Amino acid sequence: MIFITGPLWSGKRDFACRLLGCTREELSVRAVWDVQELAAGCPGQAGLEALADRLAAHEAVILTEEGGGVVPADPAQRAAREAAGRLACLLAERAGCVVRVFCGLPLVLKGECKL
Amino acid sequence: MFTLVIGGATSGKSEYAESLLLGRPGPRYYLATMEPSADGECRARIERHRALRAGKGFATIERAVDLRGLALPARGDVLLEDLGNLAANELYSPAGAGPDGALEAVVEGVRHLRAECRGLVVVSNEIFAGGRDYAPGTDVYLRLLADAHRALAALADNVCEVACGLPIYYKGERP
Repeated sequence: MIFITGPLWSGKRDFACRLLGCTREELSVRAVWDVQELAAGCPGQAGLEALADRLAAHEAVILTEEGGGVVPADPAQRAAREAAGRLACLLAERAGCVVRVFCGLPLVLKGECKL
Repeated sequence: MFTLVIGGATSGKSEYAESLLLGRPGPRYYLATMEPSADGECRARIERHRALRAGKGFATIERAVDLRGLALPARGDVLLEDLGNLAANELYSPAGAGPDGALEAVVEGVRHLRAECRGLVVVSNEIFAGGRDYAPGTDVYLRLLADAHRALAALADNVCEVACGLPIYYKGERP
């Protein structure tokens, strides 16, 4: 599994298409994205681990970084953001290759990926 | 040579961006995109940046919108600071291109500038890793700046992110 992360609208899905050699339509079969939104619904560490295991069955998993701003005052938002950050770490552990996309440009953080 | 320098607030990106042009023959232009207002905080920020640039040989040009219509006094190097302001001006200012034309105005403006000068350094802001839960309408601005970043990163020879005054290059190298 290739884990692709990066800030909002940084070109993560376009990069995944380039990497997998597929179109945007085909990407929905081969990859999942916005997985940070799934983290909030998973109770506890075990729930997050199980989610990460399920997601890791895809060729590519795409997550948008959301932990860079001020800690949210709202408890539910705070918990969601924390769960998303933990999920990102769990996915990176399971990935053979981790890429951060910044302004459409990839930076390989773990392993190797050939374009 | 076109280098895009992106960083968070007070990451040292301005000083790093200036340093890229200091060893070159010049002339050196500082293209300031902030619309000067009566706002005290705004003026203090402008003064701080002026003090940082003092003695470095930059001639200041103020231009808040429409870079496509800008002619430089002579061919030289340009430091544009910053793209976040320029995008906001094009989007929101009465003189700007508005929601439908802002992206083209920003990207084509920088492309025009690049053709007009020898070395170009564009400074911009990293604001995309803090989620999207902002006041209504902010997403339009976020989207505009993100689209501009990707388009300009594709055009640029070098792209880096600055953290604590230190660059991480995603494309090319220190010019």
